[in-house]
Amino acid sequence: MKFFQTLLRIDRRIIYLVVAGLVMLPLVRPLGLGVTSGPRAQVLFDVIDSLPSGKTVLISVDFDPASMPELYPMMAAVMRHAFARDLKVLICGLWVTGPGLADRALSEIPPEYGKEYGEDVVYLGWKAGVDAVILGMGENIKSVFPVDYQGHPLESLPMMNEVAKLRDIPIAVIFSAGDPGYRDWIRYGQTRYGLRVSAGITAVSAADAYPYLQTGQLTGLLAGMKGGAEYEILVQKSGYSNAYMPAVAAMDSQSLAHVVIMLLVIVGNVAYFATRKRGA
Amino acid sequence: MKRNIPLVVCLVMGVSMMVQFFVPHPVSVAYYELTTRWFRIVAAFALVLGTGSLIMYHSDKIQRKRQGWFYSVVTILAFVATAVIGLGWGIKRGTILQDVIFSNILVPLNASMFAILAFYMASAAYRAFRARTKEASLLLIAAFVVMLGMVPLGANLPFRLPALVLLTVGVAVGIYLAVRNQNWRGVLVLGLLWVLLGLAVRFLFAPRFGAVAEQVLSYPNMAAKRAIVLGVALGAVATSLKVILGIERGWLGGGKS
Amino acid sequence: MTALLLTLLLIAQVQPAAGFDPPPVPPLAAPVSLRAFDTPNDQGKSITLTWQPGSGPLPEAFVIERTELGTGAEVVASSPPDQAVFRDEETQDRRPYTYRVGAVSGSDTAWSNPTAPVMSSPQFFNTTRVNVLAAMVIFFALVVYFIETARRGKSLFVRRIAGLDAVEEAVGRATEMGKPIVYVPGLAGIDAIATIASINILGEVAKKTAQYDSALLVPNRDPIVYTVAREVVKEAYTKAGRPDAFKADSVFFITSEQFAYAAAVDGLMVREKPATNFFLGMFWAESLILAETGATTGAIQIAGTDSVFQLPFFITACDYTLIGEELYAASAYLSREPLLLGSLKGQDYGKMIILAVVTLGSALLLLSGLPAFRLFSRITDLFTTG
Repeated sequence: MKFFQTLLRIDRRIIYLVVAGLVMLPLVRPLGLGVTSGPRAQVLFDVIDSLPSGKTVLISVDFDPASMPELYPMMAAVMRHAFARDLKVLICGLWVTGPGLADRALSEIPPEYGKEYGEDVVYLGWKAGVDAVILGMGENIKSVFPVDYQGHPLESLPMMNEVAKLRDIPIAVIFSAGDPGYRDWIRYGQTRYGLRVSAGITAVSAADAYPYLQTGQLTGLLAGMKGGAEYEILVQKSGYSNAYMPAVAAMDSQSLAHVVIMLLVIVGNVAYFATRKRGA
Repeated sequence: MKRNIPLVVCLVMGVSMMVQFFVPHPVSVAYYELTTRWFRIVAAFALVLGTGSLIMYHSDKIQRKRQGWFYSVVTILAFVATAVIGLGWGIKRGTILQDVIFSNILVPLNASMFAILAFYMASAAYRAFRARTKEASLLLIAAFVVMLGMVPLGANLPFRLPALVLLTVGVAVGIYLAVRNQNWRGVLVLGLLWVLLGLAVRFLFAPRFGAVAEQVLSYPNMAAKRAIVLGVALGAVATSLKVILGIERGWLGGGKS
Repeated sequence: MTALLLTLLLIAQVQPAAGFDPPPVPPLAAPVSLRAFDTPNDQGKSITLTWQPGSGPLPEAFVIERTELGTGAEVVASSPPDQAVFRDEETQDRRPYTYRVGAVSGSDTAWSNPTAPVMSSPQFFNTTRVNVLAAMVIFFALVVYFIETARRGKSLFVRRIAGLDAVEEAVGRATEMGKPIVYVPGLAGIDAIATIASINILGEVAKKTAQYDSALLVPNRDPIVYTVAREVVKEAYTKAGRPDAFKADSVFFITSEQFAYAAAVDGLMVREKPATNFFLGMFWAESLILAETGATTGAIQIAGTDSVFQLPFFITACDYTLIGEELYAASAYLSREPLLLGSLKGQDYGKMIILAVVTLGSALLLLSGLPAFRLFSRITDLFTTG
């Protein structure tokens, strides 16, 4: 009885230590649980894989450093896939915290495939105003972004000769941690200009995106770190990249974290019912 | 006067934006763009007010040497340093603000705060997830299924055994209640149901935890969320109407009529 | 024998051997049924073309040629062979244009007949949103009707909301313990309905803290919300007859950065050890961080948000949670003003109408899958919007 009461009053810090230990363990010594790709990641992969070489994929960086561990790996995987397929990548963003993250991706990923800025990838930067930005890009990208993030006029960038407006883009992949995000791209970009939209989102908001998948408004979905891991596996299995896969590496930790939370709930309930019975 | 002008502005802008939604004419679209631009300008100036409040609050704390005043010194120094560095050396890649302040301070701090959620979830789950009622028990079972189904460890586990256990427990409870009420036909029906469903689960229906978790998220979870969202949307419309018509005046600083 | 051989040779020459002569190539067919019309429900400068591919094999592509009166023809676009619709968005309003569509295969182009002159113009009403207008009118009528009913003195029943009933108790607890109350009005701007609802509740809470002489701390993430909250609290103290008790620095702005704000509020709660925490408004990922930290300090916590993602965290970590529209109902519930209660009633009837429509629509959608009931899909189409 005393044991169960002690269990109920256990210091939070012990719980934190247990969780921390179990999450760190697979990072040091991988469990090798393996990741299999799901249907939603496969849909997006197939769409990008089937695009003719030279077409442009639009990526919108709509997240902040807090969501980086979940969303950055999937964004990197999509970019690697696009470059491996000789597609161009056009990056923009609706969040003011996006530029630093997009910058990081630009410095890491294009050089792996020998891609040149201005010819194979362009970063437009961030602009205030959600609907105005998307609607403006639907009419003329240069009217919204006359210069890119580094101040180069868009006319001087060879890649922008092929892409004038949203209708020239076969698919946009929106990495969003909240609002504004993929819903705005669907509402303004897809409804008005027929833009095909896919999304990479945090796990907590995944369920909210399912209706859009069911109606076909979203083409494929990468949900949380698992979605990122699925896409990384697809890219690696297809031979497009041998880079380190952070999302896959983190899945072992996530598995253990889920298991430990379930065990904690079971232990807590056992202790609760044991003390309640005796108390009654 | 002080109260009437904002109310009139609110009424005019509210009604005009409602009308704008239905009018696709370029004049209407231009009006919408003008309004959103003005809103952004006002929001930018409001930041000045907020910054002023921040400085005043912390300066006051330093002056009166209230508990923790040293942290106010750190706050003001950080605020001034970031502003000076950003204005003086720029904000693009390669600058101190981008490489040091953003990449090496803000990004790790934000990621750490977000990561704290994992620990807080564990402690909140341990403290508060109790199967006190039937509904709470059902919620816990659904939570376990989804948690196992959403990670590689559990996604491919067969759901057959837990499904059989759940079916048996459910039918047992039903038979117990039927026997208590001397409903023998009910006992027979439940027994037959148990056999048929059990055979179906055993031989026909072979989902994995991952697939069941997806179904739980896509249907009952989605239905509940949509119900709340519908209510919220209606509430938002009603509240907006009250604000536009001046019935709701709390945002003005009190006073209702 | 020779005659037989000659006859056989003649037959061999007359009857061609199978596979030597290729079948005749069908001619490229021009598109038919070409229609050009002003794109409906838009802001002008747009003309839509639709056509049917001609009989015969599909071409490699379609090309669209536009002729403006007074100038020459120009090819403005091409579309893939499986697409038989095109929107020309580079027209000038009130100028007549004619169009032709050509089916292209190799170097051949088969042109359709030209259309009659057509002009683009902006519309004054988006007809695809008629259903939204109708729903709005019905809903507004309901709200106004019940407001009038309330004005006439009829009492309206509102069910008990535990979280709002606990506000008085929570403020009293803070007074008894001599500890402050922390009120977080959410992290969204003043344009969010949840923030407006939260500010309304803040007014009521501030009135109570003024009456009971409790300390109130209101940290803000948004500068505009900060200015509004300060005025609301000041006004509440004045209404309660305690303008001298209002402290200007009890309402303050922290930062616009989400997690920096959460860290600051956590620090505030750990240092000040409030007796009561209110988390009312719009929240994102920081909700559990705030609620769990508050729980560790032993405070009683009342939360309310319309964000469906954060509700589970608040329900787990807080003592009372206002779910979704219960937050919006708060001002009516706390003040018991007839006008506000009336609008709440109108809202509820609007929800019942939506429930009926959803049920009926789902049934019609199911039935419209059967060939005999295809007509019902037209009814469900009435509820789509553009």
